[in-house]
Amino acid sequence: MAGSFFRNLIRNRAMLLMVLPGAVWFLFFSYMPLIGTIAAFKEYRFSRQGFWYSLTHSKNVGWDNFKYLFNTDAAYTITRNTLLYNIAFIFLGLVFSVALAIILSEIVNKRMAKLYQTGMFLPYFLSWVIVGYFAFSFLSMDRGLLNHTLESFGIDSIQWYNEPKYWPFILIFVSLWKSAGYSSVVYLASIMGIDKSLYEAAMIDGANKWQQIRNITLPLLKPIIIIMTLLAVGRIFYADFGLFYNVPRDSGTLYSVTNVIDTYVYRGLKTTGEIGMSTAAGLYQSVVGFILVLVSNFIVRKIDKDSALF
Amino acid sequence: MGKSTKSFGLLSAALLSFSLVLGGCGGGNGNGNAADSGGGSEKPVELIWYTIGTPQKDVDTVMEKVSEYTKEKINATVKMKMIDWGDYQQKMQVLVASGEPMDIIFTSAGGFDYVQNARKGAFLQIDDLLQKYGKGIIDTIDPAFLSGSKVDGHNYGIPANKELPQQDVWRFNKNLLDKYNLDISNVRSLESLEPLLKTIKEKEPNVTPFGLDKNHVPTVPYDFLITNMPMAVKLDTTDYKVVNILETDEMKKALQTMHKYYKAGYISPEAATVGSTNDLTKSGNWLVDRAQTQPLAENLWAAAYGYPVVSTPASDPIITNASVQGSIMAISANSEHPEKAMEFLNLLNTDPVLRNMVDSGIEGVHYEKIGENRIRNLEAAKNYDMPSYSLGNNMILYLNENDPDDKWEQFKAFNAKGVPSPILGFNFDSTKVAAEMAAIQNVKEQYWSSLMTGTVDPDEYLPIAIEKFKAAGLDKVIAEAQAQLDAWVAENKK
Repeated sequence: MAGSFFRNLIRNRAMLLMVLPGAVWFLFFSYMPLIGTIAAFKEYRFSRQGFWYSLTHSKNVGWDNFKYLFNTDAAYTITRNTLLYNIAFIFLGLVFSVALAIILSEIVNKRMAKLYQTGMFLPYFLSWVIVGYFAFSFLSMDRGLLNHTLESFGIDSIQWYNEPKYWPFILIFVSLWKSAGYSSVVYLASIMGIDKSLYEAAMIDGANKWQQIRNITLPLLKPIIIIMTLLAVGRIFYADFGLFYNVPRDSGTLYSVTNVIDTYVYRGLKTTGEIGMSTAAGLYQSVVGFILVLVSNFIVRKIDKDSALF
Repeated sequence: MGKSTKSFGLLSAALLSFSLVLGGCGGGNGNGNAADSGGGSEKPVELIWYTIGTPQKDVDTVMEKVSEYTKEKINATVKMKMIDWGDYQQKMQVLVASGEPMDIIFTSAGGFDYVQNARKGAFLQIDDLLQKYGKGIIDTIDPAFLSGSKVDGHNYGIPANKELPQQDVWRFNKNLLDKYNLDISNVRSLESLEPLLKTIKEKEPNVTPFGLDKNHVPTVPYDFLITNMPMAVKLDTTDYKVVNILETDEMKKALQTMHKYYKAGYISPEAATVGSTNDLTKSGNWLVDRAQTQPLAENLWAAAYGYPVVSTPASDPIITNASVQGSIMAISANSEHPEKAMEFLNLLNTDPVLRNMVDSGIEGVHYEKIGENRIRNLEAAKNYDMPSYSLGNNMILYLNENDPDDKWEQFKAFNAKGVPSPILGFNFDSTKVAAEMAAIQNVKEQYWSSLMTGTVDPDEYLPIAIEKFKAAGLDKVIAEAQAQLDAWVAENKK
């Protein structure tokens, strides 16, 4: 047994060597920190003997660190907001980025296509703080572009940062504007990989553009769409902190539609700074995300075995 | 949080692996060193000092000089590590949690919170060390600093000797006061501002009469148990009752006035969401705002803004926990040379040569002397530009070119005027109600700024906010705070 194991090792040494850096990275940054999740059940206190000693010798508090996530009516709001926004982002993000990718791939002038692509790509690299100020220059209540425009048409200006009803749309718009260009690249790359002879054959058979897209491009994109969506579903309980904190400028009156799990945890712990409680929130998000990936993968496998992740 | 939990994950992974690898040797080392420092006159110990501020180019050069001096005096050398303002809180949390070697740590109510980290075990309890090696400190700095910085009856750090009380003032843009010949001698309460605000609103449409940001809280005669959380105790209290500040008459009246000002257009509609009034002070388009003062503050403001600023008191000078804990140096719980660290702190707070070297750098390189205790910065001072408040006793610092001769006398007079808050020295321990505190914090963030800046009508929103605070468990927190306060009063007040 052992002999064949080592023979195997030697035979595949080149491959194994290539895997090594990634494997080490995962070991250090993904598997080892798992031990740290016991902090979620501790009242973490420092000690002279370092992190490990502090961790193991802090007081056990059972599930107490999780309580603050569930014990108020805010629990419903933050869970609803996190889930609904993420579902909207996943669905609309998919539609927009696939559409963008197809449109870009159909542009004949390749120089212009590159230009558009760069333009749509750019917002992805802006930090949320800057995007927050972009939005502010439009929405500022006394000096914003939108209110000035409204006033010049004789319409009453809107107190944007005090009116929750507009924010689901604003947040979804800003999020799509920032991310759609970037995620379309993945789809664009796989469209580029589609065999051109398929389109030629279709054209000879008299298929128009729309038929080509529906019958060739989309079916061939299906596996990558499923993979990307499954990965996104795994993060459905993680909200984009920058989006929900910086873009609404942390305005209290908007919390009913902008408070999500991540902002709730941040606001709740910034004065007390309990390591155990923030670990608890992270653990809760990971566990729910893990279950959702398993469930959605299970559903995908029922429908189409080849497209499932595992 | 998304980002910080992730990076915390990464860091804890790295830390974990290090502590696993080093765990074995660590234990043995500690014992060995402790024995050394007990015996030792031969080898100087190195003190590692973490402090706040933008890292300066010449820190190591200056610390070499400092070390030469301290080696002679107390047989110790100093290694200073500076961490930038915005990073200090988070980096220190990780460094301390991981057991990174360090001896002296800067801490304050604002950066790497003093009380909480003392309770979490980050700092060494120094009652005995202070008596044994810190005599100079006890004799030099205002005793209110040492008594006010006690946590659960013990000292965990040495506060910097500087302005002691905090006092709110109304600051005025003097250009506008002069232009319209406005008189501020009768200004004291929030209500008394009204005629001035009205004049400016009518005559200067481009000026924001009352400059406010989202952190504004009207001046009320209460001391907060935790800065800007609703639990408070009245300053002239006799029964030490903890109340919800939103339910007090004073706060209700203040909020109604604020809302009246807001509706009249004296306050910017953005007030509840802007983080600072820098835009206003830079452009000079404001009449009045509220600030905390210290002696000679008007000169500092005028120098920073480029136009004259005058101020008049809005409250009495009060010595509170927050004002006492503005700048503290603590000894790390994992320090291997706590005695030497205390000797160093003692020297730093009493010896003008050392203190000024740490503050201004090397004579002839970073500054030159132009009087007995007066200096002028040289070109190289920009390579060693340190925040004075965070590095120990301010009252033994050299004067700058334009400082009046009696600068530190003015500080001493200001400190003498300070009235201690009834709960000075009481620090609420929220561990037992941590879950409620997280919920309350969220409610606070939701309603606080818009109420305090007058953006919403208190008649409508105050009852809602009070209701939400109750639902989040404020009553339980107040009950817990009351129990702790009663115990503290029984022990500490006569």
